[in-house]
Amino acid sequence: MNDATETLRMTLVGAGPLARAIGRILARGPTEVHLWARGQAARDAIRAEVPELNVHHELEAALEGAHVVLLAVPADQLTEAAERYGEHALGDHVVLTAARGVGPNFTLPHEMIRKKTCVRQIGILGGPIHARELATGRSINAVLATRFPRVLEMVRRLVSGAPVALHASKDIVGVQVAGAVSNVASLAAGMCDALELGDTARGVLLTHGLVDARKIGMALGATEATFGGLAGLGELIPRHVTSMDRHLDVGAAVAKGASLQEALQQAQGHVEGVVTAMEAMALADARGIELGLVRAVAQVLQGEASPREALEAVLHHSLDLDDPRGR
Amino acid sequence: MRPEDQERILTELESRVSLAKVRATEAGGPKLSEILEDSHYFERKRLKEDRGSPTREADVKFWDQVQQDLRRASERDQKLLARKVIRHYAEEIAGNFDERVYQVVTRALPPGLGLLLNAASPLRLVKRLPQMPNLDESVVIQGEVEQLHRLHEKGTVILVPTHVSNLDSIIVGYALFRMGLPPFIYGAGLNLFTNPLISFFMHNLGAYTVDRKKTDPLYKDVLKEYATLTLEFGYDNIFFPGGTRSRSGAIEQHLKLGLMGTGLAAYINNLQRGAAQPKVFIVPATLSFELVLEAETLIDDFLKEVGKARYIIDDDEFTRPKRVFDFMSQLVSMDSKIHVTVSRGYDVFGNPVDDEGNSLDPCGRVVDTSRYVLDKGKPVHDAARDAEYTREVGERVGEAFLRDNVVTSTHVVAHAIMNLLRERNPRMSVLRILRTGGTEDDLELRSVYRETDRLLGELRALEQRGRIRLGTSLRASAEDVVSDALAHYALYHTRPAAQRRGDRVVPRDRNLVLYYQNRLEGYGLSSRPCLSPNHRALADLRG
Repeated sequence: MNDATETLRMTLVGAGPLARAIGRILARGPTEVHLWARGQAARDAIRAEVPELNVHHELEAALEGAHVVLLAVPADQLTEAAERYGEHALGDHVVLTAARGVGPNFTLPHEMIRKKTCVRQIGILGGPIHARELATGRSINAVLATRFPRVLEMVRRLVSGAPVALHASKDIVGVQVAGAVSNVASLAAGMCDALELGDTARGVLLTHGLVDARKIGMALGATEATFGGLAGLGELIPRHVTSMDRHLDVGAAVAKGASLQEALQQAQGHVEGVVTAMEAMALADARGIELGLVRAVAQVLQGEASPREALEAVLHHSLDLDDPRGR
Repeated sequence: MRPEDQERILTELESRVSLAKVRATEAGGPKLSEILEDSHYFERKRLKEDRGSPTREADVKFWDQVQQDLRRASERDQKLLARKVIRHYAEEIAGNFDERVYQVVTRALPPGLGLLLNAASPLRLVKRLPQMPNLDESVVIQGEVEQLHRLHEKGTVILVPTHVSNLDSIIVGYALFRMGLPPFIYGAGLNLFTNPLISFFMHNLGAYTVDRKKTDPLYKDVLKEYATLTLEFGYDNIFFPGGTRSRSGAIEQHLKLGLMGTGLAAYINNLQRGAAQPKVFIVPATLSFELVLEAETLIDDFLKEVGKARYIIDDDEFTRPKRVFDFMSQLVSMDSKIHVTVSRGYDVFGNPVDDEGNSLDPCGRVVDTSRYVLDKGKPVHDAARDAEYTREVGERVGEAFLRDNVVTSTHVVAHAIMNLLRERNPRMSVLRILRTGGTEDDLELRSVYRETDRLLGELRALEQRGRIRLGTSLRASAEDVVSDALAHYALYHTRPAAQRRGDRVVPRDRNLVLYYQNRLEGYGLSSRPCLSPNHRALADLRG
């Protein structure tokens, strides 16, 4: 088993951009990296792209002797991936996810994993990690939220030597909520751009998004400070400077008159913020939480309000900065 | 406990705790001399405040000697002195269960419980022995009894019951006997041992002493290690995870995890030494009373101290034998039931277990739990990791308590009355309503029927979803439920919680109304909760 001198073995479940980027970075180092992908085409593509990776067509073989498992799939595929992985999961596996979305009833990614597996030692990767940025090889900053010191220790070993600055947090709920709601804020920012409301309005809308994330997080037991840290504010700022986000494109398309379905088809990828906006509203209604930006985005996406009217209403709404519970 | 095990446990306990302290010192923790100085400080402080302690004189002498020895102790002497202090605590804690005494006492059942209650004091009650209530019909044992038997065979069981009354340990002990299980070991407050007769029975029925007035961290370490060792030796335990009786009357949700964590510690130790049956199971049990013996004292304590509740109450109804006798007799006379509901068991990580003792993941797959504690391929203790596992167990136990709570008419009608009082006094805090009764000090009987009926609807829906259990009295109409509750309220308490006067219902003891209604906190009923979600509530209650 693993000790400080033994080679760490990591298994990536999934073959999306994040898995490929992480696989490429880690396979260059001392970590033995294995990857499982469901489709033959995906496996062939990744073999060609990252030859150092051990690519498997059997999940069991990919997980043989694994110390760390990254379920590198978006939130809408996480339950299925966790269920499949759960067949082979072991109690000493360290399991990571970077999914930024929620499931039905605002189920957070770590809850999706818990509902389908026996694992406990879960780490949430948050903050400004983006596959495209990772792929460039530049140094990145990430938050690792976990309640288990061993998870932090293992991930630190994994990334030692890689251009990754890891920031620890125990607030797994806060980091997940911040990540998920930032996608909703991105949808709004995309709408704002398309409507040419200006940079100031964009900044105010993003601030509303952060306030909404904090309200939801606090209701679910998160720590307030998380939302002002790297997982909250630290995620929003770089995302909107670099504009590398499909959510911006979807928001902009909807603001220009496309239907949600058309906008999602154009985006050709996972836009987790759409589901997050709907689920956040259901949660807010059930718990009596007042959400400004999230409600506006949800109404626009459902065709219940025009983008301009909805966003302008948010811009004229008080931010409730002093009441984190949002009541 | 078998005498040979008792001695082995004490010796091992002394050795383990002292070794742990020496290792902690070597790792840069507090020095042995500092640990002993702290012990001396905490114990002298306790003895200064606790002048009624029966062992005060001997304890003062012991600690004076420790202080004296410590002054000139070499490093080696300090180690010996630490062992002496640990042994001192260990011997106080250790029970001396005697199988023969158990056989004698349990053969006397029924009405053995009467005999036990009788032991709670009082020679003058002995003469009333023939009138003692026979509780065979009154204690209803239900739930996962078969699984409890199986788990007892497959490993060591920690039974974790809810706690509202000092009668609980007696009821649980009686229930175990009725289920055909051997006695379990349990920690009982030192205040329950002050009567020599009850002390005799409690010790011999498997109780060990827990002195909650002792705040010395070393004492707590010894206590935890004692519980751990008994589990490793295969003795099933009872822990009351609420720590103390629920003052508010609500189901405990914020559980004390210290003792529950000993289950995991014992499991890891068992794995390390390759024990044949290493598994430890946590089995919640929910005790539900229609009336609670000490309700008046407990709710008064809850409200009076607002956040600073007395941790130990040694002058309540339980200490008055006639009250105990009257309470039990009247409960029996009303055909009132005490429900002991055994929940399905969990492993020490919070996974549910099947009847064979296999741990199951959420999809029903068998889990190899030894993997949870491996590091470098070996089972190891890890304080931060293990605390996280135990926190999860606490959450599962809290959920089981809510699920297997048996609600009765006294709870539902109290909830209905409190809802109506709050509705009629929307601007008043709960505490003000309790103090003043609000603008109206009685309620229309019809409105109590209506509100009870509404609540029954909600509760039946919850029951269908498996989120609560309803007592048989709640199968009746709202009118009958109200009538049953009012009859119970009139039974035993100094003043009934509520009373009927013509077509009105008068809340006579509003604190008691709050106490009984609190049993329905935590279910998300459509009325506003009286307690805050974490049951601390007290700030909320202040006007």
